[in-house]
Amino acid sequence: MSFISGNLEENEAYLKEQFDPCSDIVMRTYILNDGSKLLLLYIDGMIRLQSIEDNVLRPLINNGLPQGIDRIRSLAEMLGREWLPLTNVKTEQTLEGLIQHILKGSLALLVDGMASSLIAQVQDFETRSVQEPKKESTLRGSKEGFVENIRTNTSMIRRRIVHPDLKMESFTIGRYTQTEVVLAYIRGLASEKVLAEVREKLGRIEADGIIDSSYIEEWIENSSFSIFPQIQNTERPDIAAVSLLEGKVVLITNGTPFALILPVTFWSGLQSADDYFERFVFIILTRLIRYTLTFVSLALPAIYVALSTFHPDMIPSSLMINIATARESSPFPTVIELFLMMFIFDGLQEAGVHLPNQLGPVVSIIGALVIGQAAVEAGLISTPIIIVISLTGVAAYTIPRYSSTLPFRLIRYLLLIVSGLLGFVGFTFGIIFLLIHLVMLESFGTPYLSPVAPFDGKRIKDVVIRYPFWAKKGKSKGGGKR
Amino acid sequence: MIRLLFRRSVPLVLSLVLSSCTDIVEPNQLAFVLGTSIDPAEGGQIEVGHQIVIPTQKSGPFDGLSESSEGFVVLSATGRDVFEASEKVQKKLSRKLMTSHRILIAISEDFINKNDVSALFDKLNRDPANNERDVTVMIKGSAKQFLTLGHPMEHLSSIAADKEMQVNGLKSFSTRQFIIDSVSEGTRPLLPTLQIQNAKLSSKITTPIAQWSGYAFLNKRLKVKGALNETEGSGVLWMSGKMMSQGLTVPWKDGKGALSFRLTHLRRQIRSGGNPEHVVLTVKAQAYLLENTTSLDMSEVNNKRMAERYVNDQLQKDLQAAMDKVRNWGTDAFGIGEHLHRKHPYWWKKQRDDWDDKFKSLNVTVKADIKLRSSGTSGAQLKP
Repeated sequence: MSFISGNLEENEAYLKEQFDPCSDIVMRTYILNDGSKLLLLYIDGMIRLQSIEDNVLRPLINNGLPQGIDRIRSLAEMLGREWLPLTNVKTEQTLEGLIQHILKGSLALLVDGMASSLIAQVQDFETRSVQEPKKESTLRGSKEGFVENIRTNTSMIRRRIVHPDLKMESFTIGRYTQTEVVLAYIRGLASEKVLAEVREKLGRIEADGIIDSSYIEEWIENSSFSIFPQIQNTERPDIAAVSLLEGKVVLITNGTPFALILPVTFWSGLQSADDYFERFVFIILTRLIRYTLTFVSLALPAIYVALSTFHPDMIPSSLMINIATARESSPFPTVIELFLMMFIFDGLQEAGVHLPNQLGPVVSIIGALVIGQAAVEAGLISTPIIIVISLTGVAAYTIPRYSSTLPFRLIRYLLLIVSGLLGFVGFTFGIIFLLIHLVMLESFGTPYLSPVAPFDGKRIKDVVIRYPFWAKKGKSKGGGKR
Repeated sequence: MIRLLFRRSVPLVLSLVLSSCTDIVEPNQLAFVLGTSIDPAEGGQIEVGHQIVIPTQKSGPFDGLSESSEGFVVLSATGRDVFEASEKVQKKLSRKLMTSHRILIAISEDFINKNDVSALFDKLNRDPANNERDVTVMIKGSAKQFLTLGHPMEHLSSIAADKEMQVNGLKSFSTRQFIIDSVSEGTRPLLPTLQIQNAKLSSKITTPIAQWSGYAFLNKRLKVKGALNETEGSGVLWMSGKMMSQGLTVPWKDGKGALSFRLTHLRRQIRSGGNPEHVVLTVKAQAYLLENTTSLDMSEVNNKRMAERYVNDQLQKDLQAAMDKVRNWGTDAFGIGEHLHRKHPYWWKKQRDDWDDKFKSLNVTVKADIKLRSSGTSGAQLKP
């Protein structure tokens, strides 16, 4: 750690060496009319130049040192008193700190004969404006979404929770990116154990860079090899605020609109913000549909294989004859057929994500025509398979969060393999393994399947049937305090 | 633990895949049997016929089948038992016989009279690949011929027979019920009987189709002791608790016109009191008047009451006659023996060995208790 020296030339030489070659760094020396030298350092495009010109440079150059109640003799004295017409001003003694501030978009003022630098935080760079979150849009409720700027994001939460107990601890992670991560929680609601664990894990991250909150997620999650997400992400400040009120912890990362919420359970992945914005009676129906289709999305291909090729006696006669008729000329076994179709379906999905917007319809046309119709007419794939796969695919999208659909897409393949080999025996074993895994899984000390297993009578009021808000009193305390 | 299980399961899965060791059967390797016929063959053998659906590559399962008239084949073979005969059928087939979807077993009257029907039960009961929900019927004539017949509405004669039973309110004629009735001491089975008759379907087409001809009553040794036609038989079915609803037409006492009812919630009750020799069987139902060709105004409460009383009396008379007929054959299709078994166990011990004979001399009184629930939407008859 080296300190700023009193000699401006020395400082300038050091900084020049540090910032060489950085074309976006601006170093500008002014000699005022009393002969004193002023060095301005900033990154082009990251500060409000207008405000510096108006408030600092023009008065100094045109009028000389500002004279207030006291008489200021030198520029050094003026800066020593932080006598600048700007609000966010502080003094920095070390060169490393100085460089950090410059890189983050502050303006540094160095003066001959002063062993410190004045930092004016006048960051101003182009950011995206607040928009409606596209991935988590709701029919009712706030239309605000997080943006890339961390301070905008924290302010959105702060506006929703107006209480001093809302705490926001700041961490800087990443050797090169120096990403700011804010740990938000409500003191008294959030569990101290979870907080300690998160703080400790954040401190242990040794990464060169944190580009997105997903980096943090992978560093701090408990079971990295589990297919189930143990941390939820959201673009919605209202969800973040509600989670805070439920005693959860929110991690906001600079540079990404996705905030992390922890700890989570299996059920929170299946719940949508709309569940709280519509009247609770209808939510019973929508949740039942969602849960049923979630099961369909992971099990239907497996059940179809098990039923039609291992236990055809379990299907009603007329349906079985229908299936047999449709399969009469299929060249592949049912399992292979399903596997092919699932593969193609996932391929189409992947293609759809990467295609530029203008080309989107191409994939849907090719998908619908080639895979839907032509394959059946050519006798390659039987019609029930198409129905099963499209139903499965559609069912997966009733799950409101994209990251929660991913595990089910994976399990679908695994269950299909075991069912294709062993029929319902295999399917049952697959489901048992899945349940064993889910029961053993924990997210920051919270059992993943709670409040169902272990059972919690208070919190169960929000799993299948969302009780009206007045009937769930005390629920918010159940989440954190244990 | 998960990791350990995972490591263990990978070789297992691989070994299954690589050795292709699974029970997998594709639907196009199966022959779905929807009906089975049992006929007697020479030398005490059995002729088993299987009605097998032909799945065709059409948009629907039965599309176009009725036009080409054959959506199915009937293959038969003889053997010493059901299994042997079925194996011989299997040899003629490219696909595996699948009997789990069977709807109907048709046994010919000849077979029942010549062979021991109970010998069939073992195969039906022992082999798990039989669903015992299929119905058992008796065919007058050749059972195999019944399977080869078409039906004007349905694609298979076995489906048609099954649906006819359902739509006419008959229940408890499954193979399972037949077996239970046969082996229990105090009940005798009865079988719905079909007869093949020529029916004129339109001005051009006249084809033989199977029609209900009544019910056959079997004794302890499963031989046919008597038969009732459909009208009489439906009363017996009601009294044995095997019917859910039926129609009833009673001619009015002055000989002019008649009253027709739809009876629902059919129930029966057996009471014996202290004396096992005197049994009272009460039938109950709710009646809905649907046609009235008498001069009665049924919106009048007194007329209603009178009609209800009269219908009960008439019904009681008819049912008592049917009961006496069946009783004289000694075939207790009502399960009265089972009732007495429970009520008078010591008395029953002396009766059970020759219950068929004892039943003949039993005193059974039939009582009818019909409640008229509705007299329809009009009062008196519409008269010009």
